[in-house]
Amino acid sequence: MSFEHDLLAILPRLRRFAASLSRDRADGDDLCQAALERALKARDQWQPGTRLDSWIYRIMRNLWIDEARARQRAAKTFAPAEAGEHVGHAGDRDIEAHVHLSDVDRAMQALPDEQREAIALVLVEGLSYKEAAAVLGVPMGTLTSRLVRGRGALIELMGEAA
Amino acid sequence: MTDIDEAMLIALVDGELDEVTRRRVDRAVADDPALAERLAMHRRLRERLAGHYAPIAQEPLPDAMRALLEESAKVTPLVRSTPRWRGWAVGGAIAASLVMGLGLGRLTGGEGGPIGLHDGVMVAQGDLAQALDTQLASAQGDAAIRIGLTFQRKGGGWCRSFDGAVAGVACREGEGWQVQQALPGAGQGSAYRQASSSDARVMATVDALIDGAPVDAAGEGAARAKGWR
Repeated sequence: MSFEHDLLAILPRLRRFAASLSRDRADGDDLCQAALERALKARDQWQPGTRLDSWIYRIMRNLWIDEARARQRAAKTFAPAEAGEHVGHAGDRDIEAHVHLSDVDRAMQALPDEQREAIALVLVEGLSYKEAAAVLGVPMGTLTSRLVRGRGALIELMGEAA
Repeated sequence: MTDIDEAMLIALVDGELDEVTRRRVDRAVADDPALAERLAMHRRLRERLAGHYAPIAQEPLPDAMRALLEESAKVTPLVRSTPRWRGWAVGGAIAASLVMGLGLGRLTGGEGGPIGLHDGVMVAQGDLAQALDTQLASAQGDAAIRIGLTFQRKGGGWCRSFDGAVAGVACREGEGWQVQQALPGAGQGSAYRQASSSDARVMATVDALIDGAPVDAAGEGAARAKGWR
């Protein structure tokens, strides 16, 4: 069966992963499209018999990290604490109407990248620890500690609603 | 008072504990309301996150992504159909249309093939849908479509692996079956019953989705009786 067909079958999940990493849906789709383009171009590097989805998760994640680093360099003025402050009081905030973010989106965005990607792969995509660690290229222990810290932060950010 | 740490609670929720450790955590949780509350909190968090992003995977794919795949499929050499497909006109036609990336529209019409495309999502239809709905792996004789494993996926919901003209895994979504993966199958009949090259990939998908172990014949029957809810 063709590479394109295999891609089509996993594309909805890839798109979901991109959305969970990104600031908003538009950014998520841009990321997914970019990962798809790169995967098609680099198809010879994929080893048949290994998991195509893991391979593309990895491509996507690397693209996202590159982009996130570039963005961080460009926006040193961003105050990370702010995202946490208005969680739980979202209803009061004008900002919500214009950003259209749910508590979940906002809490995910407030996470450090390394925690967000771990949470996205395991809690959202349902990968096993072993698979997620392989995608991220980190030891299992590193993955699990990121999952513990990331979850703690999410629960704090989302309050009792979690 | 307890040696159960946060990482163990979380691993339990993520389905990553071995049986012995899982029982140990279960026992500790049963004796400790505070621990039970933390466990419940982690379960809610996982459910909430998964539930929040789940609808995205059900949405129609953007045209730009489809176009990219269709364009790519046209310029790369087509996969030649193998003898395995002979005599499998329906499967062959489906496979060919998927391989060529041109059949997206044609598949949606619900015309007899095992897999339809609805809003960019592959869903089982016809015989495949019926096999997933009703067929038990423990009693399938020489049915054209064979059900492999039946299991609960992480985050809840039933999934079943299947093999026939097309092999793969489908998971219950609402009243239907969403096909998670579709590969050329081993076909039917003794001549084609050798292990298909898809097996390893289907198993990898099962491994990725499964929460715990597949159910046995009794579990399979019970799940069917409850309408896969």
